[in-house]
Amino acid sequence: MEAKQYIGEGWKHAILIIGAIVVMLPFYMMVSMSLKSQQEIQSISGGLIGAQETQTFPVCVKTGYSEETCTMKPYQYNYWFAFEKAPIPRYLMNGVIVTLSIFIIQVLVALPCAYALAKLRFYGREFVFSMVLFCLLIPVHGIALPLYVMLAQAGLVDTYSALILPWIISVFGIFLMRQFFMTVPDELIDAARMDGMGEYAIVWKVMLPTAIPALLAFAIFSVVAHWNDYFWPRMVITGNRDLFTPPLGIREFRGGIDSDEFGPMMASIVTVTVPLIVAFIIAQKRFIEGITLTGMK
Amino acid sequence: MHNSKAHIWFIAPAIILMIIILIFPLFLAGGISFTDYNLGNKTFEWVGLENYDKMFNRKTYVKMIWATATYVIVVVPISVVLGLCAAMLLNSLRFGADIYKTIFFLPVMATLLAMAIAWEFTLHPTLGIVNSFLANGCGGVREFILGFHWLPWVDSQESWYAVACANNMDFPYWLKQKNTAIWTVCFIGIWQAFGFNMVLYLAGLTSIPRELYQAAEMDGAKSTWEQFKLVTWPMLGPTTLFVVTITTIRTFQVFDTIEILTKGGPSKTTYVMMYAIFEKAIQQNLTSIGAAITVVFIGFILVLTFFQRYVIEKRVHY
Repeated sequence: MEAKQYIGEGWKHAILIIGAIVVMLPFYMMVSMSLKSQQEIQSISGGLIGAQETQTFPVCVKTGYSEETCTMKPYQYNYWFAFEKAPIPRYLMNGVIVTLSIFIIQVLVALPCAYALAKLRFYGREFVFSMVLFCLLIPVHGIALPLYVMLAQAGLVDTYSALILPWIISVFGIFLMRQFFMTVPDELIDAARMDGMGEYAIVWKVMLPTAIPALLAFAIFSVVAHWNDYFWPRMVITGNRDLFTPPLGIREFRGGIDSDEFGPMMASIVTVTVPLIVAFIIAQKRFIEGITLTGMK
Repeated sequence: MHNSKAHIWFIAPAIILMIIILIFPLFLAGGISFTDYNLGNKTFEWVGLENYDKMFNRKTYVKMIWATATYVIVVVPISVVLGLCAAMLLNSLRFGADIYKTIFFLPVMATLLAMAIAWEFTLHPTLGIVNSFLANGCGGVREFILGFHWLPWVDSQESWYAVACANNMDFPYWLKQKNTAIWTVCFIGIWQAFGFNMVLYLAGLTSIPRELYQAAEMDGAKSTWEQFKLVTWPMLGPTTLFVVTITTIRTFQVFDTIEILTKGGPSKTTYVMMYAIFEKAIQQNLTSIGAAITVVFIGFILVLTFFQRYVIEKRVHY
């Protein structure tokens, strides 16, 4: 009996390990290419990290750097040259600006509305709530084209506003917060009113602190979605490098797949992808919770 | 209670934004789809159903519907079943489940665009490790397994693997070939989506009461398969419905991998709807055609969601 169970366990691990290898394949390829020299990449040799021989890189010399500057180990060169060629910090900063602005405005709009829907009684409340439910059905990427037309008419294409404005209303956020506020006892709010707090103060000083766990999950949901979003930035940012978000940067690095060096290109892609992955590995539980939020009812 | 008018200030911004950003665009898309308006034009004329007529009769758009349907029909069931299998396997493990869970969830998290490029290189005919792995396996165990030589009806000289080996390592150019491109893109879609489904199923599995399995065993359902049929599958009904709907909606919206890897080609075999909207309306500035595709696209998604909310939802809750 015991032996049989161990064999069963062994089979399961065997299947899962094969699955894990397939899943990790592109990650391996990405990291490996960002460390190796061009020759090693082209001959598919050198395993994960390559031989790391110090050498002079011809593309670097051609770009106008002295031979001395261009002599180093492949991994150093790939990452150094990636930062020389493209304003990577700028892309990352744009990513931060856009995702944070979106999240903050989403909360500013959604929190009071959710509070009103959950705890205040007023004429038309049911109607507003069913409006929220209806808007939940609208696929946001689906209405991208009319939104684009509207932004173009307003002359906002190629601005930060274009990246941020369409996302500042999150009906999902309203819905989520409303469900959460429903569970907050009325006594808490009544007590706050007795203390002479106004409704505004209640929203930000009483409700907000109780909603921190839900907000955190929503933050992860929102930030991950917009950090990774490529479709929308691709539509509204046409050429202005200063406004590139990380995915647009990635697209630019890939530009010359046939002519360019692959090492620095992959190094840039790794640099842009890593922050989120590291954050995920550190705070796994919260991330899984946040991203599968849409699974909550 | 209280007589303040605070609620007006609380809900007004949300209502105004919902109308401008979410509801008005629906009508705008509908409106534009009946005109010949292109962005930048000063005037436009109503053309009735002309745009829709083009959509359903021109080869390009017929191919678009095909590509989208193929993608959705392949990716949704496979990623749901894989997600379920992975969840059940992990749930029955004694140790190590967390590591697999992290690994399988990585693709959901990682920037899809970056991963698409990583896959492009992994599957590259000369630089990629997949084709070099296949080429090194000619005549060996890999050929036997992946060439399906273990199936009695496969001739070991005629299998796709053997033919490729014989023809100077002529393995597929995955993303560049007409007959493989769509399947390769589907594969990347499945790779990305199944971890998400797995996590939802894991949550669903933990909510099944242990007693149900004991009861099933008493009723004579001894084998794992019988218990699955009797307890697990019915109890996961609501989860499955939800997983299928959300995966379908996400799958319909595939764009990143197509734009960066195939641009809808070769010969429109991967020309999915989101990419078509982007190409027509943004790159070729044919706004009205793009709007017509948008309307059909939104129609598909609304029908699906309504189907979930009001038709089946009542039937799967026990």
